[in-house]
Amino acid sequence: MTAAVAVIGEGRPRQARGVVLDRAFEWLCFGAASLLLTALAGVVISLTIGGWPALAKFGPAFFFSAEWDPVAEVYGAAGAVTGTLVTSALALLFALPLALGVAIFLVELCPARLRRTIGTAVELLAGIPSIVYGMWGLFVFAPWFVKHIQLPIMMSVEPGSIWERLTAGVPNGAGILTASLILAIMILPFMAATLRELLLTVPSQVRESAYGLGSTTFEVVGKVSLPYIRTGAVGAVMLGLGRALGETMAVTFIIGNAHGLPTSIFASGSTIASTIANEFAEASGVLHTGSLMALGLVLFIITFIVLALARLLIGKQVHG
Amino acid sequence: MNIHASDPPETSVLSLPPEQVKIDIQGLDFFYGAKQALFGVQVGFARNAVTALIGPSGCGKSTLLRTLNRMYSLYPGQKAQGRVLLEGDDILSPRTNLSALRARIGMVFQKPTPFPMSIFDNVAYGVRLYETLSKPDMAARVEESLRRAALWDEVKDKLKDSGLGLSGGQQQRLCVARAIAVKPEIILLDEPASALDPISTARLEETISDLKGDYTVVIVTHNMGQAARLSDHTGFMYLGTLVEFGETDRVFTNPVTSRARDYITGRFG
Amino acid sequence: MSASGSQRLSRRVGNVAFLSFCWAATALALTALAAILWSLISQGVGGLELAVFTESTPAPGSQGGLLNAILGSIMMCGLAMAAATFVGVLAGTWLSEYARDSAYGKVVRFINDVLLSAPSILVGLFIYGILVAPMKGFSGYAGAAALALIAAPVITRTTEDVLRLQPVSLREASVALGAPVWKTIWAVIWRSAQAGMLTGALLAFARISGETAPLLFTALNNQFLSLDLGGPTANLPVVIFQFALSAYDDWRRLAWTGALLIAAAVLGVTVLARILAREPARS
Repeated sequence: MTAAVAVIGEGRPRQARGVVLDRAFEWLCFGAASLLLTALAGVVISLTIGGWPALAKFGPAFFFSAEWDPVAEVYGAAGAVTGTLVTSALALLFALPLALGVAIFLVELCPARLRRTIGTAVELLAGIPSIVYGMWGLFVFAPWFVKHIQLPIMMSVEPGSIWERLTAGVPNGAGILTASLILAIMILPFMAATLRELLLTVPSQVRESAYGLGSTTFEVVGKVSLPYIRTGAVGAVMLGLGRALGETMAVTFIIGNAHGLPTSIFASGSTIASTIANEFAEASGVLHTGSLMALGLVLFIITFIVLALARLLIGKQVHG
Repeated sequence: MNIHASDPPETSVLSLPPEQVKIDIQGLDFFYGAKQALFGVQVGFARNAVTALIGPSGCGKSTLLRTLNRMYSLYPGQKAQGRVLLEGDDILSPRTNLSALRARIGMVFQKPTPFPMSIFDNVAYGVRLYETLSKPDMAARVEESLRRAALWDEVKDKLKDSGLGLSGGQQQRLCVARAIAVKPEIILLDEPASALDPISTARLEETISDLKGDYTVVIVTHNMGQAARLSDHTGFMYLGTLVEFGETDRVFTNPVTSRARDYITGRFG
Repeated sequence: MSASGSQRLSRRVGNVAFLSFCWAATALALTALAAILWSLISQGVGGLELAVFTESTPAPGSQGGLLNAILGSIMMCGLAMAAATFVGVLAGTWLSEYARDSAYGKVVRFINDVLLSAPSILVGLFIYGILVAPMKGFSGYAGAAALALIAAPVITRTTEDVLRLQPVSLREASVALGAPVWKTIWAVIWRSAQAGMLTGALLAFARISGETAPLLFTALNNQFLSLDLGGPTANLPVVIFQFALSAYDDWRRLAWTGALLIAAAVLGVTVLARILAREPARS
């Protein structure tokens, strides 16, 4: 009998205001979260639908042909995909050792007084907008690079050797290698910050006991700290790679924007992102727009795989 | 006389006369997921008196306390079975209006939990949930609550300051004031002094004994001196079972179950 | 004896080489920062005159400023931040308060992480596909939508992270007073986490205020001053992009000045966010 009635205290039915809104608020939050899911699904669907005309017309050849000719209306993704992969891989190659060096410096070597300042400076480097990197790369870095690195290299290679082919190009500083270097500078601070966080998770007892055995810093880092954070570090590298793959503005400024497969490290090239940035607003015709959308889809798939792997690995590291 | 009569009983729970009982717990089991934490607890807590729950950590005393205001309902994996009658109404019923229930039952936690707002707003927060008071009425309610919690004199000149700026002991008394401002009938205290220094603890204990008589107080404590000083009835719990329950003086001077005797004498040496 | 001696020596040499490399890597990173900042200042400060803030982008060869681009950027970023904060705070709250261990929560968390690092140019393509193409026109609203979609995952992530740091007892203390859950979140949890949430919003703002790629084919550009987000809208990043790659010296100068303004704004906001994040959580 009494159990059927809600609790009522001494004749004053008291319930806090707004209890009825509880459900509404939860649904609102749920809706917002679902909106994010919808957005990602929307990106995939719209790229697929938008790219469909091109994929249907060219078939698998779209992925393997490097010909990209808006006048003849022939489009193939291989040039841009290769450019994307090569610049990102080179950027990673340059940035990873440096990022490790910076992270280790901040954790093991840096005087405590400077740690915060240098850490913030590195973070600032990560915060500079990519368009600024692009301008700086094109107007400041590239001329310097041509004068002090590219020309000396081009002069010193033996004519007729494979090195000459690898280093052929117009000495204007715009090309695959400079784009990779700018990308490397852009992803370095981000990777350094992540690696630093990971290094800080190495228990101090573990490090101290290694030092206690007479190990040098090199040995402690190489034999204890790095193996300890191995999985997470791979994840951090993948995140950096993800950034490099999708970076648009910095690359667009400095890669030279030539279609087709890159022929040497100094040659102009293009990436998926730079091609889209350059051509999309002026693209005319269903096929051109569609091909750019299809390129976008390819970029999405590549970055999705890389990011998913990165999250998986970093998640593993955090949970033990 | 039978030879077994001299063996101490497994459990010994005093039954209070029904008219004294405010909270009547009948056959209460509690589960954290698949793990059972309370086994058939059967006891009545007296109206306008202080009941202390003691026992080693993990014995279920905090779990029992958190059942009384359905705090566990926040967590999907936790459930209670049995009956907990508050003045005859089963609070475990799914129809229970939790907000109305919690308006009648205040709670103070192990660590002080001041809200990130002014001292005044901390106390007024709960009141505003239920009542629309005029400015002077609210000021009066806040003052009355802070006085009852023996905090008024220390904070009356800085009611606009953040509650986070108070000392640990003051914060805990602020939490008491916040709980009584809503005018509850029951106050639950979950090891309220465990994070406090001895002087703050003594002040908090004074505050609690001042509440006696107007409120039904249930306090969980690991400090047996505190239980002995404050409470009218004491329950000793062990491994999820209420082993012994009775008048505090009797439980502490002459525990009948061997478990309670070992625990109490062990502690007192 | 001598073998162990040479081993010791090689260990020491290896260590010194390693330490030197770490120093050099850091020095290199700092040099890059200094070089970029120096270029911005040396090339950008010269063009920093009043006209930059009072006149709109000029035709080649005539005088002008960046007023239309600055206003456009502020309007689009403001609108984007309003929308992204609304969605991000609620979504982060859902992940932290309602869906900690649910399977759907895990999916959303993962998707949010993907969005967080997805190439921003793809966001531009998406918004083009759902807003620009159907409405047959570039618009500031489309630009704001693209920026919002980039900011929202950042805010979602930081909101969830800071809310998770709030002690359980704080939630229980409010609920124990009979407060509804939404009131508890609204008045206690959000308030307690406000510094961290503000940091997240600032970082999101820093991120979108320099974004160029998603605006290229959503907001496009507009040579004239316009307060109407319904049409193509000028914005700093795209103006910088177009002017920097142009053949005109005045345009390039303006591009450097614009880059300086944007970098100063972004770095200023980033530093502010860091300072806020370091403040202890007390109010």
